[in-house]
Amino acid sequence: MSALTQTARPSLLRRWGGLALWLLLLLLLAIYPYTGVTGSTLFTATQVFVLVTLASNWNLIGGMTGYVDFGHAVFFGLGAYSMGILVTRVPLAFSPELSFWQALPLAGLVAALFALIIGLPTLRLKGPYFSIAMLGTFVAMREIIRILRPITGGGTGLDLPPVLNRVNEYYFMLGLMGLVVALIWWIRRSEFGYTLIAIREDEIGAEMRGINTTVHKIIAFMIAAFFTGIVGAFWAWQNTYIDPDVVFIEQRTVEMVMMSMLGGLGTVWGPPLGAVVIYFLQDVVWGNLLNFHLMALGILLILLVLFLPEGILGSLGDPSSTSLGRLLRRAGRGRE
Amino acid sequence: MDQFLQALASGLLLGGFYAVMVLGFSIIWGVMGVINLAHGEFLMIGAYAAWALFRAFGLDPFASLVIILPVMFVVGYALQTILLNRVVERPHLMALLVTFGVSISLANLYKVLYSADPRSVPVSYNGSFELFGVTMPIVKTIIFFLALLIMGLLHLFLHHTRLGKSIRAAAQNKDAARIVGIEIHKVYAITAGICIALTAGAGAMLSPTQAIFPFMGPPFTLKAFTITALGGLGRIPGALLGGLLLGVTELMVATYVPGIGTNLGVAVSFVLLVIILIVRPQGLLGGLRPMEVE
Repeated sequence: MSALTQTARPSLLRRWGGLALWLLLLLLLAIYPYTGVTGSTLFTATQVFVLVTLASNWNLIGGMTGYVDFGHAVFFGLGAYSMGILVTRVPLAFSPELSFWQALPLAGLVAALFALIIGLPTLRLKGPYFSIAMLGTFVAMREIIRILRPITGGGTGLDLPPVLNRVNEYYFMLGLMGLVVALIWWIRRSEFGYTLIAIREDEIGAEMRGINTTVHKIIAFMIAAFFTGIVGAFWAWQNTYIDPDVVFIEQRTVEMVMMSMLGGLGTVWGPPLGAVVIYFLQDVVWGNLLNFHLMALGILLILLVLFLPEGILGSLGDPSSTSLGRLLRRAGRGRE
Repeated sequence: MDQFLQALASGLLLGGFYAVMVLGFSIIWGVMGVINLAHGEFLMIGAYAAWALFRAFGLDPFASLVIILPVMFVVGYALQTILLNRVVERPHLMALLVTFGVSISLANLYKVLYSADPRSVPVSYNGSFELFGVTMPIVKTIIFFLALLIMGLLHLFLHHTRLGKSIRAAAQNKDAARIVGIEIHKVYAITAGICIALTAGAGAMLSPTQAIFPFMGPPFTLKAFTITALGGLGRIPGALLGGLLLGVTELMVATYVPGIGTNLGVAVSFVLLVIILIVRPQGLLGGLRPMEVE
């Protein structure tokens, strides 16, 4: 953990270098569609942006604050359903294109509000109650959506009018991803971010210093829920069809946990890195395993916890902090 | 009135099953502080084992406990030795992540092995009898009394055997238990073995009463958590009380709240859990504090 909590004032390059590189990458990605790529390539890129955004959001509560959320996909689902219900059941706007932009922030707000309602009872408590309550929230919400047939369409789901095209989708997700990662970058350097890390490292100690830990935890949770809800709303629109079984899938939460874990919990660049690595692993390697790939994901999670708990970035900073790092170093020494 | 009595009786029968189902979860949590998110998956494994034995040899699911319990004890022992003992003394986040990984892998392994199609174990005595005007399904009545028997035996084991006492000692004070010469990790492994065997056994008992499929686990994990919050960590009487309370609540909601089917146990548990966490965060009987196994 020492790499994450250093207090020495870093140099200008270390302070701003990350953000500068990020903006440069965003700029390159922004001109990418003009290089004559096909729609399906843009679609793939959009999927990666979705994963990066989701993983970065999960990392805010699960990685930085240390409250592992095993049901974060519930906010994705709430966002998707808010969008679906607002667009199909409420005559919100005159044109479908306009209603997308009107429903989007509402979907995020619904998710954030729900995070507040769930967070108030569960984040007051220290320890694992939050994790299991979120698992419950996820399982229960899928059932509730299925029962509320008059509003949600139950198991038959909802159809949304197709409006977006691949290029629009690409730029929307690029912008959202850029915003979310920059926000996490800023939070990580702000007093708020240091407070979150303090809660993770020593919650009672933080409380004794006069920090209202509950408020900080709930705010972090609400931010993470807000943007996850927006991604869900976007996804509903992109997919043009939602039902409980395509929206509320465990895999989404598992992926968020895995990507943050692989890249490095609580780091800014870890979850994006983890998201890209896992996406291509799934696409290239596990595509051939098909049925086994979720199983492989679970096994990889266990191996990560046992041998690489600090993730790729955390281990680069301090190899001796992980079993794998120590093993590699011992192996290296053996060769000398 | 008849409707009320029927709901009460069905709820109590269900509650008996819940009580035996939760023991494995509650004791692992109480003794080593690990929340086993793969709890429901071990129940699912037990149910599949009963189904496989029934289909291959026509073995009765209750008789198959003789095979399932010892085999799953070994599985639990191995799980603890290979995986959980490595994370048990690290921050609880690690154990949560590991058991989450186990849960995902097992559910998907079984999906590959047995497909996602629901399976059933049609036993010949799948009928019911009348008692004071209340319909009592035979299988569920057997489960109820078997659950009481198992809880009684477990209580005797924990209180009157050397091994049982060392498990309770490890739960009460790990370091003191070490000092008096108890091998903590071995005791943990035996505890996990017993708990996983109990959980899989509960799954086998459940097999004649409901569809068996790879993703049946998570609702049981959630219910186990709710019951533990109701009844307390590692307490057998608490598990019984919490189980009965949840069973009766579920059936009452199913009977009296219109438009909600019987398959809504998950939502009921969830609402109940949130209410408990709001009103009494320390658990209904003060049981979520770390404490001794009774």
